[in-house]
Amino acid sequence: MKKLSFMILVFWLIAVLVGRFFQLNPNQIDLNAILSLPNSIHLLGADDLGRSILARLLRGVEVSFLVATVVTIITMAMGVFIGLIAGFYGGKVDQILMQVTDIFLAFPGILLAIAFAAVLGPGLTNLMIALCITGWVSYARLTRGQALSLRNRQHVQAAESLGASVPRLIVKHILPLLGSILVVEATYSLASVMIAEASLSFLGLGIQAPNASWGAMLRDGVRYMLVAPHYVLVVGLSLMSLILAINLGGDYLRDQLDVRTEK
Amino acid sequence: MIRRFTGFCIVIFGVLLLTFLLIHLVPGDPVEVMLGESASLADRAVLRDDLGLNQPIIYQFGHYLNKLAHADFGQSIHTKTPIIELIKTRYPATLKLAFLSLLIGLSIGIPMGIYAALKAGKWQDLIVTLVSVRLSAMPAFWLGPMLMLIFAVWLGWVPVSGMESNASIILPALTLGFGLSAILTRMTRTSLLEVLSDDYIRTARAKGLTESNVIVRHALRAALLPIITIVGLQMGSLLAGTVITETIFSWDGIGRLLVESIEKRDYPVTQACVLVVALSYVLVNLLTDMLYRLADPRVKFAH
Repeated sequence: MKKLSFMILVFWLIAVLVGRFFQLNPNQIDLNAILSLPNSIHLLGADDLGRSILARLLRGVEVSFLVATVVTIITMAMGVFIGLIAGFYGGKVDQILMQVTDIFLAFPGILLAIAFAAVLGPGLTNLMIALCITGWVSYARLTRGQALSLRNRQHVQAAESLGASVPRLIVKHILPLLGSILVVEATYSLASVMIAEASLSFLGLGIQAPNASWGAMLRDGVRYMLVAPHYVLVVGLSLMSLILAINLGGDYLRDQLDVRTEK
Repeated sequence: MIRRFTGFCIVIFGVLLLTFLLIHLVPGDPVEVMLGESASLADRAVLRDDLGLNQPIIYQFGHYLNKLAHADFGQSIHTKTPIIELIKTRYPATLKLAFLSLLIGLSIGIPMGIYAALKAGKWQDLIVTLVSVRLSAMPAFWLGPMLMLIFAVWLGWVPVSGMESNASIILPALTLGFGLSAILTRMTRTSLLEVLSDDYIRTARAKGLTESNVIVRHALRAALLPIITIVGLQMGSLLAGTVITETIFSWDGIGRLLVESIEKRDYPVTQACVLVVALSYVLVNLLTDMLYRLADPRVKFAH
């Protein structure tokens, strides 16, 4: 399983590099090739505007990874910060912060992200903002729970009684113990942010034409499914392979780092 | 229970506040964004007045709450239809889809979970677990098109999309149901395995009950309790999943209404859809919680 995950990820990495090397142009229009089947010029066929599906797929995965990485880092930083404050101080602060996370959790799935992306207007930056506004909650919950229990560990209390300041306690004594659980969570979150990005792009709220994104490609693929079923199939299988690889990688990390999560 | 209820009220208030604020997050002038740059000044003034955007924000929020209390969501900017009418026509379709998906999820997930638990550690268990873990990670906009491709385009068994025939609901319901069944399979398996190692199961076996009696009458009753909570929580992703699924299959539910309103920049409709879906989810969760308390007497004492 570990090997499979690794192989898929390496495959995509090499594919992107090769694509860059050959300077595949994802926006090159070939009017003779509209919705053509895979052939020697367009290895995976062409889309509804005669653009190479392969080139667009490779550009799309780059964007996908960029969004997933940026959003994961920002949401993790926000969530960990809020979670640490809530878990460390407890009491009223904790109550208020957790009430806020409850409100965010009352919006099922990516509904809130859809709403934010809708009012902010389409585009890559707004998409990332929408995902960040809604994505920090799970980290905050996770960190808070951990911080609550870590706070009462002996080494933390020992440091406290020796006069360590609160920032020092958090940075030196609590954060390092959160490391592995956050790494695992972040790995799974890469996959879920990719799904969210593709969902929003699918709905037309994400990356805008003519730029390539997997969500938008899937939508076009569905639209032309009757005439060019290979389009949706290729994009669908690519997406599945990548999400599978990331989740398997997450499982592997979880077992290696011995983190117990609900997933 | 009272604490739980206060929490519920705060969450409802927060949901209302957040959806209310949505329209104020529109960069620049929301009226211009909604009507387009070519709109006349008079049209703009009318809409601004309609939406109450001239008033102080606190007043606007009060007004918003007051209108909602009278089941008034305002009207669509483009068609001028009262939004409550739109929701009344679209919401039942979504509910129908959600319930059928739930039914599919339960009828696949629970038997598969029981099967996997009974074969724990054997290859059958491994396959079921592997498939369910992977299936639950597959988003609706992946599964939907794949099912469409296989069953509608290649096999031609069901309509591709739309709502004309009764068979139209099958694919969207399967799309949502499969994801749910995967999660239920895992939860049932875990929960049943846990129960099977309990003392009272050993007692039941020791007193000579048949294995099927032990499973059905003793183990399952306890094992299926947590499923109530899972179903409640999953209703949320089901509701959110309907946004994508309805769009794929052109199913005229509230999710599609939401997407259409976003495309037309009809923000009052967007706002109302988000609110209705979120409130449904909160209510389902409250109901689940109460149901769980009824079903499991231990919870009452614990809190």
